[in-house]
Amino acid sequence: MEPEQEVGVSIKQPHPEKKGKERYSKLFRKFIFLTLICSLVPLFLVGWGIYAYYSGFSKIRIMDHFKNQVEHHREIIELFLRERTSDLQLVILTHSSDSLQNPGNLKRIFSIMNQGSSFFTDLGLIDDEGNHLAYIGPYALMDKNYSQTFWFKEVMKKGIYISDMFMGFRNAPHFIIAVTRIEGNRKWILRASIDTEYFRSLVENVKIGATGEVYLSNQEGILQTTPRFSGKIMEKAQLPAEFFSEESSIGIYEADNNDPNRRFPRQLVAYTWLESPRWKLVVKQDYAEAFRDANQANRAALIFLHFSLLIIFVISVISTRYMIKIIKNQDEETDLLNKQLVQAGKLASLGELSAGVAHEINNPLAIILTESQVMRDTIEEAPSLNDEVKTELIASLSQTESQVHRCSLITQNLLKFSRRNKSQRETVNLNAFLEEVIRFMDGKARGAGIRFALDLEKDIPSFRSDPSLLQQVFINLINNAVDAHEGKPYGTINIGTRTDSQRHGVEITVGDTGSGISPENMEKIFDPFFTTKTVGKGTGLGLSITYSTIKGLGGDISVRSTIGKGTQFNIFLPFSPPGNAQENREEVITPPRSSI
Amino acid sequence: MKKPSILLVDDEVAFANNLLKLMSKRGYDVVVVYNGADAVNMVGEKEFDVIILDMKMPGMDGIATLKEIKKKAPLVEVVILTGHGSVESGIEGMQLGAFDFLMKPVSIDDLQEKVSEAYQRKLIQRESG
Repeated sequence: MEPEQEVGVSIKQPHPEKKGKERYSKLFRKFIFLTLICSLVPLFLVGWGIYAYYSGFSKIRIMDHFKNQVEHHREIIELFLRERTSDLQLVILTHSSDSLQNPGNLKRIFSIMNQGSSFFTDLGLIDDEGNHLAYIGPYALMDKNYSQTFWFKEVMKKGIYISDMFMGFRNAPHFIIAVTRIEGNRKWILRASIDTEYFRSLVENVKIGATGEVYLSNQEGILQTTPRFSGKIMEKAQLPAEFFSEESSIGIYEADNNDPNRRFPRQLVAYTWLESPRWKLVVKQDYAEAFRDANQANRAALIFLHFSLLIIFVISVISTRYMIKIIKNQDEETDLLNKQLVQAGKLASLGELSAGVAHEINNPLAIILTESQVMRDTIEEAPSLNDEVKTELIASLSQTESQVHRCSLITQNLLKFSRRNKSQRETVNLNAFLEEVIRFMDGKARGAGIRFALDLEKDIPSFRSDPSLLQQVFINLINNAVDAHEGKPYGTINIGTRTDSQRHGVEITVGDTGSGISPENMEKIFDPFFTTKTVGKGTGLGLSITYSTIKGLGGDISVRSTIGKGTQFNIFLPFSPPGNAQENREEVITPPRSSI
Repeated sequence: MKKPSILLVDDEVAFANNLLKLMSKRGYDVVVVYNGADAVNMVGEKEFDVIILDMKMPGMDGIATLKEIKKKAPLVEVVILTGHGSVESGIEGMQLGAFDFLMKPVSIDDLQEKVSEAYQRKLIQRESG
């Protein structure tokens, strides 16, 4: 495949594609980095700051709430025990020992005491030697002597006593409340057992979710109620034993991996001490469940944060790509403009130079021509010269004059290349105009075995332009196209027109099936004095003039060529040329033979 | 027909002298000067039918010379001859009353033809005036 090159507007330098790509990639990375730093870092800091603050805050709130719940529950249990103690005290103070020894009375009192709920399991009256005087309850305890029991000793000493859980004669876990009264010189005791199941349900009456458990333990660490998960009443509690403290406490309990009762690896544990009896009220809940709501909220916040980060990242990438595209387009426009400026500058400076050179050459040429004519006169009048010599000298002078005219034509072209005249604007019907130019050039083309192929869009609107300039442009291009077929027996020149509604103008193509332009020549074809034609055949100004004319008319010209296959020029002309282009233009004439 | 009297104004001495020879040989009464000031003086001294005037000259240029000549001899026909070849200067000259302009290098035949045309016009104007 032959190399194909395209030259936009005038000279499209081969863009350093790789270098450009690297530059834009680098720019892209820099922009992305800066955008992300500027947007993600503050969001990340704020997001994580809020997350950390609210995590800590919600944790403290949950733990405080948990602790308050435990303390509140302790008050309920203590109130219950105080009320039950008061029940016994009321009975013992309002009834004599004799009255209570009457089984009917004790039974009636027992049923009254359990009227609200079955608080008490049994009720017994005991003398100061530990013998039961009367007893109401499910166990056969009338014949039992309690003088050696710990609670008997304690109540005799203190007057009121609430025991820890113990097995006793009934051989079942229970605790008792006992109160004493001195009647005459005798002391007697009213003792009641609290219903263990009722008490357990009271203790457990706390809303602590699916993993929560509540229990009581004494100072020795013995369970006073059966916890939901960890152990049974009267067994050693999971938490280590400790002495009474007035302070409530809350913390995180990490279960020992070797603990057989290990159900939850991590629990939130709060405890507080009942004053009497000195029982520790323990409330536990699985850590994950306790903080589930807070964790869910935090997780949602984190998901939102990361989603925001992702959105920002995507937006940054898209917006940066868009910016890079704009920059790239602007760079390309600037690049193009610079090239056009360089080309325009080249032409302008060359124009000035041309004017000077043409003038300086014209005068010597004028002298040479007149000298030649003087010599011609002299020779013709010289009688001593024979005819043969005269003919030879006249032929030499004719050749001299011919070369002077040739030089003169070049200098005139140079001058016209450099001059600016007032534009002659007329309404141009492009298709009709092109057909006229083609008719004009048809003879030359036919002579070279070349035919024209037209593809002219119908109804192209007429527009204001300079027909004489356009004529020179197309004559130049067609001349070049004909010359490009040198060495080929036949060929085609394709000429097409189509409306470019987007740019509000018309696009004209002039293509040939000639020899094409080599890549190394592609860069120079619009340069003045560049020609590939043999000496004397082209001045190298044709395409320069074409270029400056098209630019002067506010248009655009580009070229595409494949060696051995042909060349195509694309010309764009606006329907409304800019004012400058209308007012001033390069005056262009066709060189004797156009360049290329 | 009587050949016109010609004043040739050009700072290129060799060119002016050659034209003097060529025109004289063809029967013209030619006077040569090499700058604008001399041309103006000469117009004051002698009547010419046609003046061949170079545009670009040191000192008084062709346009200034033309203006002065036309003041002194409004009927004289001026053919502008310029090596600069600019249409603008030619047109400017014609607007100031020059008959036509030619660009250097010019053949003696072309010059002769233009001078004849100019002289014809002068004759017509003189007759009608």
